[in-house]
Amino acid sequence: MILPAFELHHPTRLPELLELCRTLRAEGRDFDFVAGGTDVLPNYKNRLNPKGDLISLARLEGFDEIETNRIGARARIADLATSSVLGEHWPGLVEAARSIASPTLRNLGTVGGNLCLDTRCHYFNQSEFWRRSKGYCLKADGEDCLVVPQKKICYATYSGDLAPVFLVLDAVLDLAGPQGERSMPLREFYAFDGIRRFRKEPDEICLRIRIPKESEGLRTGYRKLRARDVLEYPVMGVAMGLRVAEGAVRDLRVAVTGSEAIPLHYGDLDLGNGIPPGEEGAEAVKRALLEWVKTYRNVPFPPGYRRAMAGEFGRELFMTLVSA
Amino acid sequence: MTHPHDIPNQPRRLLGKRIPLVDAKRKATGQAVYTDDIRLPGTLVGKILRSPHPHAKILSIDTGKAEALPGVHAVLTGREAPARFGVLPVSQDETALAVDKVRFIGDNVAAVAAEDEATALEALGLIEVEYEPLRAFLDMEQSLEPVPEELRLHTKTVGGTNIHKEVSQEFGEVDRAFEEAAWKKTRDFRFIGVTHAFTEPMCTLAWFDADDRLTIWSATQVPHYLHRALSKVLEMPMHRIRVVRPCVGGGFGGKSDPFPHEMVAALLSRKCRRPVKILFDREEVFYSNHGRHPSKIRFGLAVGKDGTIRALDIDALIDGGAWGSFGVVTTYYNGVLANGPYRVDNFRYHGRRVYTNKPPCGAMRGHGAVNTRFAYEVLLDEAAHDLGLDPAEFRLRNALPPNTKTVNEFRITTSGIRECIERAVEASEWKRKKGNLPFGEGIGIAGGFYISGSALPIHWDDIPQSTVHLKVDLDGGVTIHSMAAEIGQGSDTMLAQIVAEVLGLDIGFCRVRTHDTDTAPIDLGSYSSRVTFMAGNAARQAAENLRARLLRAAADLTGYPVEVFVLREGEAVNVTRPEIRVPYLEAVRRAMKECGALQATGSYRSPPMGGKFKGAAAGLSPTYSFQAFVAQLKVDLETGKPRVLDVWAAHDCGRALNPLAVEGQIEGSVHMGLGQVLSEAFLYNGGNVLNPNLCDYRTLSPTETPRIHPILVETNDPEGPFGAKECGEGPLLPVLPAVANALYDAIGVRFYELPITADRVFRALERQRKRRAVKDLAAR
Repeated sequence: MILPAFELHHPTRLPELLELCRTLRAEGRDFDFVAGGTDVLPNYKNRLNPKGDLISLARLEGFDEIETNRIGARARIADLATSSVLGEHWPGLVEAARSIASPTLRNLGTVGGNLCLDTRCHYFNQSEFWRRSKGYCLKADGEDCLVVPQKKICYATYSGDLAPVFLVLDAVLDLAGPQGERSMPLREFYAFDGIRRFRKEPDEICLRIRIPKESEGLRTGYRKLRARDVLEYPVMGVAMGLRVAEGAVRDLRVAVTGSEAIPLHYGDLDLGNGIPPGEEGAEAVKRALLEWVKTYRNVPFPPGYRRAMAGEFGRELFMTLVSA
Repeated sequence: MTHPHDIPNQPRRLLGKRIPLVDAKRKATGQAVYTDDIRLPGTLVGKILRSPHPHAKILSIDTGKAEALPGVHAVLTGREAPARFGVLPVSQDETALAVDKVRFIGDNVAAVAAEDEATALEALGLIEVEYEPLRAFLDMEQSLEPVPEELRLHTKTVGGTNIHKEVSQEFGEVDRAFEEAAWKKTRDFRFIGVTHAFTEPMCTLAWFDADDRLTIWSATQVPHYLHRALSKVLEMPMHRIRVVRPCVGGGFGGKSDPFPHEMVAALLSRKCRRPVKILFDREEVFYSNHGRHPSKIRFGLAVGKDGTIRALDIDALIDGGAWGSFGVVTTYYNGVLANGPYRVDNFRYHGRRVYTNKPPCGAMRGHGAVNTRFAYEVLLDEAAHDLGLDPAEFRLRNALPPNTKTVNEFRITTSGIRECIERAVEASEWKRKKGNLPFGEGIGIAGGFYISGSALPIHWDDIPQSTVHLKVDLDGGVTIHSMAAEIGQGSDTMLAQIVAEVLGLDIGFCRVRTHDTDTAPIDLGSYSSRVTFMAGNAARQAAENLRARLLRAAADLTGYPVEVFVLREGEAVNVTRPEIRVPYLEAVRRAMKECGALQATGSYRSPPMGGKFKGAAAGLSPTYSFQAFVAQLKVDLETGKPRVLDVWAAHDCGRALNPLAVEGQIEGSVHMGLGQVLSEAFLYNGGNVLNPNLCDYRTLSPTETPRIHPILVETNDPEGPFGAKECGEGPLLPVLPAVANALYDAIGVRFYELPITADRVFRALERQRKRRAVKDLAAR
């Protein structure tokens, strides 16, 4: 399968990139950004909403730093997965990075690309021929959702591994666009449905993601459901952060990927005076997740099983983190 | 068989040694040439327009706009080449392109040859096809109904239905054996389709040249059948067609038919007189499929009080997809290959293969035997459990002895089943572990039985099934000509080893030329695990014929009688007076004196065998391979995911000509079998293949591969080349049931449907927990 024709741009500095965005827009040309290309290019091959112009971030200078509280959007996932400084502070983040795809793909994929990963669905991630024979779906070329029949909401599944951990860490995303730079809590970033996905303007790019000081000291972990140990998107992923103080679990945070069209942070669990750090607390977390998590029949594994695994992972993570 | 000139009392120099494959360095360094690596000047890109409907009449095809597109050199439709072909003479139901109807989503409708891929794709989009959709047959049961002619997938079906082939066989007194049995059970098993997932996609380059001769380079396991099919479809005599098989990146049965895209490339090239290459993308490979048939098998097993198998009663419903392919053979194999490795005196089989509007199924590693084997071995385990017998001991009690005949008249010569069971049991510490592992961990055993080449060839010709030519010139190098298709399994190495062994030469003297029908004699191809046995025997005979001439030359040069000479380490040596030696090259020169370059021929044809009843030929083989595997696994009780930790794989390969290669085949088989039992599934959404890519079709990754412990059992088959028999397919069979039986040992649940994915195990564990909870409540 060959790629469709597009013009590839290679800006090296941010102002140049933003100027390019303005120019293309002014000429009425639509474009996408591409960093590692591991998500965009397979989708382009399948003719999934390809644009005439692609702006590559490969030669952009900077925005690839990895520090305890600050990670550039262009940082490679492979570098995240092997970072000792992150491993010390946020083991959950490193676990999530290590669970992504395969070593070769991690060498290409970037943090920003993973956060902005397109949603996935049986009816979407298919070739043009396949989709034509089946009938096009709402997310590409069609008018009807083939998962939940209606014409308004796309139920494709968010499939990034890093987002739930950053959600638990209450991270803040720095964005830049022709209108200037701005910051947004990641918890507000993801929104809408499987098509619109986030509150980023199409011309904006992610510069970096920052972890606030307040998250220091959180114990973090990540569990992922997948058919094989490598080369799999999460079809259920649970990230958790918590603190243990005075014999109780406090500041318990849970976020989930691989369930709905966006990764969801379920808010800080209602603690009262904290959750008991044993089986009782773990069961409470499991029950809460089973109640919250929604799944649809559009990625591998039956929806009921994926939901059940959210509960199991929540329980298991809780027990692991409290005894860490 | 020993030959008077085999070196007495001396270990073989090459055979039995661990030798890297002769093409390993070329493949590891990227120097090996595959079909897509071949670049001829002026080559055009061929692309095929595919059907978006599972079943539809073609009312019209308008190619006008596509033909008018600049850069397009030829457009082809089915009416231009309506001759039907197929790998079996009894099922000639394919055409190069659909003629009046399409039979599955992805079926071949029209084709173009253009300057580049983008132009070819654009041209496909300009072809206008008018369809009239027909009722699609997507479930096997629907295909059992009698339907009006226009709803039949093919003209030749059983009784006005969409049944392709129906088989019934009975030996002994099955009903009586079931009545008298101490233990009997009949269970329903369900198997989803799986596919080969070989690395190299289909690729064919065809060139109809200035001499009106067609040369076709193709990734194929069966150059000879391709040769025949091209001749039929192009209506050209075979001598004007040359088939070349470049390196093949895996086949596993998925390249063992002549294919429509091969016909299309040739027809397009004939039309525009330019080389035309068709390279499939992965989705097209899934539409080509020819993978393992989905099936529903009802398996009845009767066992006597003494723990002997009394009867089998098997009913198989097999989903063939849109074409016949090897399906007639598949239909038989689903039953008859249950006649080993255990003795069975009463046997009944009813098999039906149906056409459905899905990509065609065909031969895949362990062809026809895998699903039935699973059912059989799982039921055996159940019987052993119910009867309080050790599953390994139970199997030993029923082991098929050597030099017997099965009830359906298979001629069993060597049988290593006893030794396979005993050695797998010993290596795995079965006796210590069985029943003693903690909950969630388990160990299971299963046996296997497979043909070592089909004794009766597909085409009822009087010619040998394999012929090997050798050529030696002044340089002393031995060129081995054969059409035995090297597809990564190591057959080139096998040929070189045998020839070098017989001639007492270093293997580097051998040059294997197994790719060109212009120069190599016919071998029927790499399928049915036939090549080592058949081409190996032919090579041995050819080498012995050549050796006779070299020994004669040594005798002539020295004046000693020919009988005293042997060839070893590059010399002809007089064994009665070892100081009398003739260097190999001198012997060659002397032998060349009269006729120039030396040539020698060897061939193989299976001896007559088998019964006289209908279908007696199915499953006949000059010898059979035997297996017994033990698998150990651990279940993640939280997620249900089973992880296979160890597989002890005992395989009777007759004689391991190259233990390294045999172990490689066993390891590959284990990996592939684990894919089918744990993970792989050819899924559908209506008539669409749901997962036609290697991201969503889940072959196991290296991280799921267990420790594999190959155990080579050598029974030294008297008819095999230096005692060898097959090792490429049989070792897949026992993996699946061994895992299912280990799962039962681990969690006490039986699985009758594949694949056994984590969610299914999790559900079973949940049900089990609920049952326990109810029991506990009742006890209170």
